[in-house]
Amino acid sequence: MGRLSWRLARVAEIKPETPRVASLALDVPSWDGHQAGQHVDLRLTAEDGYQAERSYSIASAPDGQRVELTVERLDDGEVSPYLAGEVRQGDQLELRGPIGLYFVWQPGLGGPLLLVAGGSGVVPLMAMLRHRAASGSRVQTRLLYSSRTLEDVIYREELERLAVAGDGLTVTHTLTRAQPPGWQGYNRRIDAAMLKEVGWPPDERPLAYVCGPTRLVEAVADDLVALGHDPFRVKTERFGPTGVQ
Amino acid sequence: MDEADLRMDGNHVAGMLAEVFQFDMTVEWSGCAACGDRHQLGALQAYGHGMGAVLSCPSCGQTLLRVARGGGRWWLDLRGMAWLQLDEGARLPE
Repeated sequence: MGRLSWRLARVAEIKPETPRVASLALDVPSWDGHQAGQHVDLRLTAEDGYQAERSYSIASAPDGQRVELTVERLDDGEVSPYLAGEVRQGDQLELRGPIGLYFVWQPGLGGPLLLVAGGSGVVPLMAMLRHRAASGSRVQTRLLYSSRTLEDVIYREELERLAVAGDGLTVTHTLTRAQPPGWQGYNRRIDAAMLKEVGWPPDERPLAYVCGPTRLVEAVADDLVALGHDPFRVKTERFGPTGVQ
Repeated sequence: MDEADLRMDGNHVAGMLAEVFQFDMTVEWSGCAACGDRHQLGALQAYGHGMGAVLSCPSCGQTLLRVARGGGRWWLDLRGMAWLQLDEGARLPE
């Protein structure tokens, strides 16, 4: 199978994002591009031949040879401690993809957009925001992003820059575990009241993309439908029970 | 390996299903044999285990698809699904 065969990618650049999260820019020979929201599978092989595969969302906009992933280190994980800690520039990784056409957005799909993220669930949504900015789209977009603390917010500065560009993006944070002195924003888990305040009224027929830990994603999707949103315009991607909010 | 190592998400299942079907299955539609609701496979709940995965209906929890790999074969159990629709145009490029 053409696009789904495993190939070798080279780690071109490593950028720490938060104490637990790092971004890896990969050079992938003959990468044919991807859509914002897609992911890749990575495969690691131990010296004894044991293999572990994991899926990681692509963080970068679809613009060329490089694929950027953002990986959160799960302390009990098998793959992420290597990717978000031990991997070095120049290392090679086995990769296949891009995979998944369900959780994707392109400017032609329009909006308004409601993006809801918990923790590292922001990664595929960031690909959408980067794609939106790079393509000059002015689709009205609201990001609601739940993190435990301010220092756990991934892409914080870039999100600030994107939000002040004045092209129709607003970014709202909620910090669920600890807030810095003077914090004026939300300090609780995402709930229906917050979605109503931050999101779009159902009659504007927004497209919603929700990504994060399973519990958050299912609660948000249920809340959006209960608020009157069309279930077929609420796309979800669950990161499984290991994610943190 | 402890339990956490065996957890997968819908993403991982997408790659596995693409191996089996040679389609990007996340945008394909299925009907639940229990409640009748229709969903794209990307919207299903996914539970991974070491050798495969289980996909279930987000409306009623019915198991729709079980997939496992072993002995050089794929095994599929689709009895919970009333129907599965594949868009010819969604076949992965050779």
